[in-house]
Amino acid sequence: MTAPATETMNTPGAGRAGESALRLRGITKIYPGTVALEDVALDVRYGEVHGLMGKNGAGKSTLVGVLAGLIEPTSGTIAVGGRDYPRLTRMQAKREGIAIVTQEPEIILDITVAENLFLGDFPTRGGFVDRPEMFERARELLDRFGLDIGAEFRAGDLSLSERQLLLIIKACYVEDASVVILDESSAPLTRKDAQILRRIVGDLRDAGKAIVVISHSVDELLDVCDRLTVLRDGRTIATRRASDLDRRTLSELIVGDGFTACRTRSDESAPPGGELLAVENLTRWGAFEGVSFTLRRGEILGIAGLRGSGRTEILKAIAGIEPADAGTIELRGRACAFRRPSEALKEGVAYLPEEREAEGLIGIFSIRDNLILNSLAQFARSGFIRGGECDRRAAETFGAVQIRAFSLEQAVEELSGGNRQKVVIGRIMTAGPDVYLLDEPTRGVDIGAKKGILSLICEKIRGNAGVIITSPGLDDLIDICDRILVLCGGRIAKSVARADFDEKALFMDIQGFGQ
Amino acid sequence: MSNDLKIKLTLLDNIIWIMLLFFFAVCAAFVPAFASWNNIVNILYHTTIMSMLVLAQGFVLMSGKFDLSIDAILAFAPGLVILAGTKWLPGTILSNPFVAIALTLAVGALLGLFNGVCVSRLGMNAFMQTLSVSIILRGLTLFLIPLAIFPLDPVYSFIGKARFAAVGNMPAAVFVTFGVYLFFHIVLKHTVFGRNYLATGGNERASYVAGIDTRRMIVMGFVIAGALSAVAGLLTAGRQDSVSNTMGSGMTMLAFAGALLGGTSMSGGKGSSFGMLGGAILLGMFSNALNLLGVQVTLVHAAQGTLIFLAILIDRFRIQLRGALLRKEQLKKLHHAGGAH
Repeated sequence: MTAPATETMNTPGAGRAGESALRLRGITKIYPGTVALEDVALDVRYGEVHGLMGKNGAGKSTLVGVLAGLIEPTSGTIAVGGRDYPRLTRMQAKREGIAIVTQEPEIILDITVAENLFLGDFPTRGGFVDRPEMFERARELLDRFGLDIGAEFRAGDLSLSERQLLLIIKACYVEDASVVILDESSAPLTRKDAQILRRIVGDLRDAGKAIVVISHSVDELLDVCDRLTVLRDGRTIATRRASDLDRRTLSELIVGDGFTACRTRSDESAPPGGELLAVENLTRWGAFEGVSFTLRRGEILGIAGLRGSGRTEILKAIAGIEPADAGTIELRGRACAFRRPSEALKEGVAYLPEEREAEGLIGIFSIRDNLILNSLAQFARSGFIRGGECDRRAAETFGAVQIRAFSLEQAVEELSGGNRQKVVIGRIMTAGPDVYLLDEPTRGVDIGAKKGILSLICEKIRGNAGVIITSPGLDDLIDICDRILVLCGGRIAKSVARADFDEKALFMDIQGFGQ
Repeated sequence: MSNDLKIKLTLLDNIIWIMLLFFFAVCAAFVPAFASWNNIVNILYHTTIMSMLVLAQGFVLMSGKFDLSIDAILAFAPGLVILAGTKWLPGTILSNPFVAIALTLAVGALLGLFNGVCVSRLGMNAFMQTLSVSIILRGLTLFLIPLAIFPLDPVYSFIGKARFAAVGNMPAAVFVTFGVYLFFHIVLKHTVFGRNYLATGGNERASYVAGIDTRRMIVMGFVIAGALSAVAGLLTAGRQDSVSNTMGSGMTMLAFAGALLGGTSMSGGKGSSFGMLGGAILLGMFSNALNLLGVQVTLVHAAQGTLIFLAILIDRFRIQLRGALLRKEQLKKLHHAGGAH
């Protein structure tokens, strides 16, 4: 079913408003142990802004990966530029004029803004880079959208928000893509830069290009999109015109029935213990403000919020990794302000890092050595480690968290993602802290491992300790928490007890719609 | 994990000693007088200085940094102390050989402290920092000791020069070396400091988050490297019964080679004390064999370079073989699981 050979090549970027730019049919992607996408269909036309929405784990990022040629679907076809591809490589996608901008702006820090813009497409004259021409064109582009950046600035001096805009402009105007995918690329933008992005998107639509926007924010999508496609559990739920939708109906489409089939937590009783941790008016400028809450022994407290709402930063502040600027923390009735993780650990406050590879694991160490990393001092007598005691405790944790591996001596870098995460959790458990700060403990693990981790938290970790857990989605929190704090724009918008959990209401709260 | 696999992996992880035995057997067969007791003692004696530098370099490598100033410290530390005791303040406490030995070690450790503080607190790049210190110290040594100072106090030169007739004429330096290696083996394997130190090299950020004072670890690595370089300086000065400005020249790069031969990772987090000892002895054994074979001195360096190249090549094969063995085991396990259904 390839296109006739006689058809003229499409010039990427040529405006053919209304025509189909991308057509996906029957896209299925199966990972070992999980189905990420199931029979997904998607149509994107030239001259439209198409939004893609869904909860965490609904399959958005997998779908975006398929569109951009980064992930190979298990089955299905992708029609782009009048050609059917059973799978699209990144090079083919690029030739077809598909550009993608992700939420993490990757630029080269030590060269100028202009060079970053034209990287890979330098204007040349006689084999040499035509620097005056390059700077001239860069200046034009920057001025056109009212960016207050000099083309000759060092790119590393730009803010995160400005770097992101730079990449968007590069994808849209320098690479001249005909299909632009903005994968949560508005996340790092400031309010002013978000306005600029809006102008860019409008300009692209008028030029007859296709824009696919992925975002967690209902308001943003309703505002910029012409049509919206909602994914849930790896399936296409609906494609609707944005003008036919309002906040409530869109939210309902995204959340669905909100009925989790199987519950991890078996008991519904309230936590029995006394107050363990009290946080009062905690503030870190630019991250969160005036945050107050308490944690009791045996309680699982969830913190829900969009990316950038400050959920990670609050945990890091308590753990002393990025200390707060103001406010007080009381642990077991005593005021404390940890300035570094080692101090927090000594007082029984352990933090599970969100960035597993970068902050959680020593890859070339064995499972055993990772498991006892936090608690070496406990197993030592005057500086010397008691090997037998270490082995015993490591084996104990190894059994408790059920890591799948040949032996304790296997290097952690040889394990799968879910098992690595269990090693990090196990490492904290070995130390036996009073307060667990679990930052997205189920991030990037498959369904089976996720269930295992959640029941581990309920059954083995909770005990007499207090647990604070964050998650980008609501499912996990609703499943196991006693209470959920809703965080919106760095402030606690609401505190909801287990009896009152309602996924739709919580979803609206996170979006900041209130009641 | 099956026992068979365990044995294979253990052999692979200790490949330096297998290479060493293999090389020894080949030389014993083909090089006249190689396997004699006297020559073995000779090899060990000649390895001592290099092995201190290998341990110094390897130690810093394990924390993910490196140190280019070790051979300059080797010359500077004893040079400064001897100069102070003989020229500047003769007849004072500085002339006491025991004090001089302690001071030599202290000067080495202090220079290491300076390196470590600059790298970990001020965030200087380890390459540039230690390169600059290396050039400064070499220059100062040349300025302070234009001519060699000799003879030295017999106590000061004892560990570099003395031999014990009772144990087959074995030099004191060999015992010192083995003792130091044993000490650091225990430190690395069995102390909290050692494990935290290796963790810092394996992933500095993760170690910090896990509550390890990573900056202190890095400083300690340089301090230990400085002190070990000073020990190497004591051994050198003792052996030649003098201090001169050329002591140890050009040994830093070979120390890298010895540490890598011994299985230390360039990117930190991995390495063992005995592995490095093996690496150092292999280097010494190799140049000894070339000597006995009458290979021109001018060719020795190129031959050593070739040995290092071969070692890196073997190490690459080792890592691939290790991965292949583990994958095979995993497949076997999958088959078993499949069969059970």
